[in-house]
Amino acid sequence: MALNILIVDDSSVMRSIIIKTLRLSQLPLGEVHEATNGQEALKVLDGNWIDLALVDINMPVMDGEEMINRMRQNPATADLPVIIVSTEGSETRKEVLRQKGAGFVHKPFTPETLRDAVLRTLGGLDEQKA
Amino acid sequence: MGVGDMKVSTQRGDLMITHALGSCLGITVHDPVTCVGGLLHVMLPLSTIDLVKAERNPFMFVDTGVPKLIVECFRAGAQKQRLEIMVAGGANSQNGDRNDLFQIGKRNMIMLRKLLWKNGLLLKSHDVGGSNSRTMSLEIGTGKVMIRSVGQIKNL
Repeated sequence: MALNILIVDDSSVMRSIIIKTLRLSQLPLGEVHEATNGQEALKVLDGNWIDLALVDINMPVMDGEEMINRMRQNPATADLPVIIVSTEGSETRKEVLRQKGAGFVHKPFTPETLRDAVLRTLGGLDEQKA
Repeated sequence: MGVGDMKVSTQRGDLMITHALGSCLGITVHDPVTCVGGLLHVMLPLSTIDLVKAERNPFMFVDTGVPKLIVECFRAGAQKQRLEIMVAGGANSQNGDRNDLFQIGKRNMIMLRKLLWKNGLLLKSHDVGGSNSRTMSLEIGTGKVMIRSVGQIKNL
């Protein structure tokens, strides 16, 4: 099954790095969508089937936390696996996000860290299904 | 195998070992399908500091040694998308309380990361940094990589 991915980050360089890492991880990638802030991302989620979202926190217009809150309120996207890719250092804020069911990758990351986080998130889901 | 050395093998029974990885990097490459494996022991990040030496022995430097290791493995039948790359070493070389002035271990690792990223390769696993010396071995038949450091042995 090919995975449709949504990458939400206001930096185009960061989005490219994430996309390249996902391709190198030999994941079966389907469509790769990009959004530059939370609001754009919600629009993409509205019109497309997405299997995994990689989300930055600090973005203009709508930040990642707000975006995840709204996603979780919408039954269609409430269970969507999310990995936060951010420079966020505050443990309390990270813990809040973890409780919303999001994985966390700290920027700057090595491609291997991101790959492992993605595999862990997706692997965990398979176990739940089984 | 010594410092600044590289070997590639397709003999299933072979075991490659390199000792005394301090700030040096030990890099193994293995293709589990064709059972091609290689081990490289590099000392320094950049060949530009001594091009004559690099010409004589490219396996001393990360930027000249790693491409040779990978090309040699391709020649022996390995395929890029199956390559499992592992790395060990890159420790801080500490002399007593003095700081690690040149940070060779760290710079070796940065150079390796740059090279792999540019060529679209990811590490399978790694054991780098710290201040202890390591011994690294690769079993060609299984692709198993073992690290021995301060009396402890672990699977990489």
